[in-house]
Amino acid sequence: MSRFRPDLSDEPAVRLDGVSLSYDRTGEVLSEIDLVLRQGSFTFLTGPSGAGKSSLLKLMYLAHAPSRGNIRLFGRQTFELKRKQLAAMRRRIGVVFQEFRLLNHLTAFENVALPLRVAGQKPDSYSNEVIDLLRWVGLGERVDAPIPSLSGGEQQRVAIARSLINKPDLLIADEPTGNVDPEMGAKIMRLFAELNKRVGTTILIATHDLELIREFEAPVLRLSNGLLVRDVEYGAGA
Amino acid sequence: MSRRETSLLPSSDAREAALFFVIGALCFLAALAALTTRGTYKAAEAWGAQIEGDITVVMRDTDRRTAEDAADRVSGLATVFEARVLSRDEVEALLEPSLGPGGMPEGLPVPMLMVVQADAAVGDPSPDIERILNEIGVDGDVAGNAGYADNVRGALGVLRLVALSIVALLSATAIAVIAFATHAALLARRDIVDVLHLSGAEDRYIAGLFERRFWVLALQAGLGGAVAALMVTALIVFSGGGSQGVESQLLPRLSLDFWDIVILLVTPVMAGLAARFAARLAVLASLKETL
Repeated sequence: MSRFRPDLSDEPAVRLDGVSLSYDRTGEVLSEIDLVLRQGSFTFLTGPSGAGKSSLLKLMYLAHAPSRGNIRLFGRQTFELKRKQLAAMRRRIGVVFQEFRLLNHLTAFENVALPLRVAGQKPDSYSNEVIDLLRWVGLGERVDAPIPSLSGGEQQRVAIARSLINKPDLLIADEPTGNVDPEMGAKIMRLFAELNKRVGTTILIATHDLELIREFEAPVLRLSNGLLVRDVEYGAGA
Repeated sequence: MSRRETSLLPSSDAREAALFFVIGALCFLAALAALTTRGTYKAAEAWGAQIEGDITVVMRDTDRRTAEDAADRVSGLATVFEARVLSRDEVEALLEPSLGPGGMPEGLPVPMLMVVQADAAVGDPSPDIERILNEIGVDGDVAGNAGYADNVRGALGVLRLVALSIVALLSATAIAVIAFATHAALLARRDIVDVLHLSGAEDRYIAGLFERRFWVLALQAGLGGAVAALMVTALIVFSGGGSQGVESQLLPRLSLDFWDIVILLVTPVMAGLAARFAARLAVLASLKETL
């Protein structure tokens, strides 16, 4: 198992140089991560529980700042961004969580529209777009359904639609199939693949589901004890 | 199809009901304390003015007719509200603690006593009273309260300071508790803050949501507290507790005049502003912990 040092020559969607993260003084959860995700790439991130997958994703979707090292998103150093610019940068990133993180008091429509609404848009301007997206994820009949009335798979598809409504340049998914049955998991993965192929969205999916990874021809990044290593066993494109 | 935007914060829950009660109770106490302080102020003002305006004139070797003539002339002074000679019964009542019950012995030389109510704010009429006594040939002493009025003024000053301190302390406590409770309620909504944050909402947008929620909540709760304070005050005023007897001149004079109503109206606004400010600080501080 050796440190993975990818090619840093072109301008990528995501670039991490020597990034480390520690939440407290007990030790680093991520150490000296060098990583490049090219624009339009489809990549898996895997590793055992506690390896630091979620922490690495948090750095990329700007929920945390690294303790050391530099992160560049779409060519911009994140530490140079002011808070307003960080908010604007977050709107270029869609995030899907294992636990969905939907607002239960809102409907499917309202959850999907959330990123547009916080950006100041009015319902009349995005209504059709939201409904089309809900149709695309197979929820055309559940547009106004309250979240608690939806199944796990349906909730995850609402979360995916929410992550896509801003037409993000980068989509990050943290165990997106972890709380749905295998059939629904496969459907969700096909949605991601279609999005990557048709729109060119850069996609990074963290999962420990090796069966899922084997189905796709995509590079696989592997984290182990906070270190990024390359593992050639999984994924046809690895 | 036009869609209505649902609030991004869920409707109030049990935690906010508790916060509503806390803010309402604190506003009730703060409003009542402010009204009582104002009543105390008014009572102290009135008592101080009365003390300073009370003058007693002792007239020796004078018959009642001459004494009443002197009282008539003193009444004519611009700074005097009233001047009258005490009756024998009133003098006996005054001397009873010294001479005991049963009245004064016949032939006891008792001086005539004139009580004068003056407007202390305009000026001290003592020199004019002495001049009048001289003019009509009465041997008398003018005894004002100026000597111990300073002490009374000092005591009233302390009383006012204590009352104001109580209001300030209670208001500060109310604001601190509102801020603390608001912060606690916000922590309970951390999940929503995170979702909004990751959806690309700016700090000001998220803070604005919570500011509006807690502003309205505190305004309603404060209004409830102020109405309760109004009802209690009205009960005291209309049951006679707000009126003053001679024996209770230093008790607060509760009333419901214009400024009392202003106090009752300002209380919920202050609570709302405190909650709004606390919510803003809490959200921004919470977001500063994140990237």
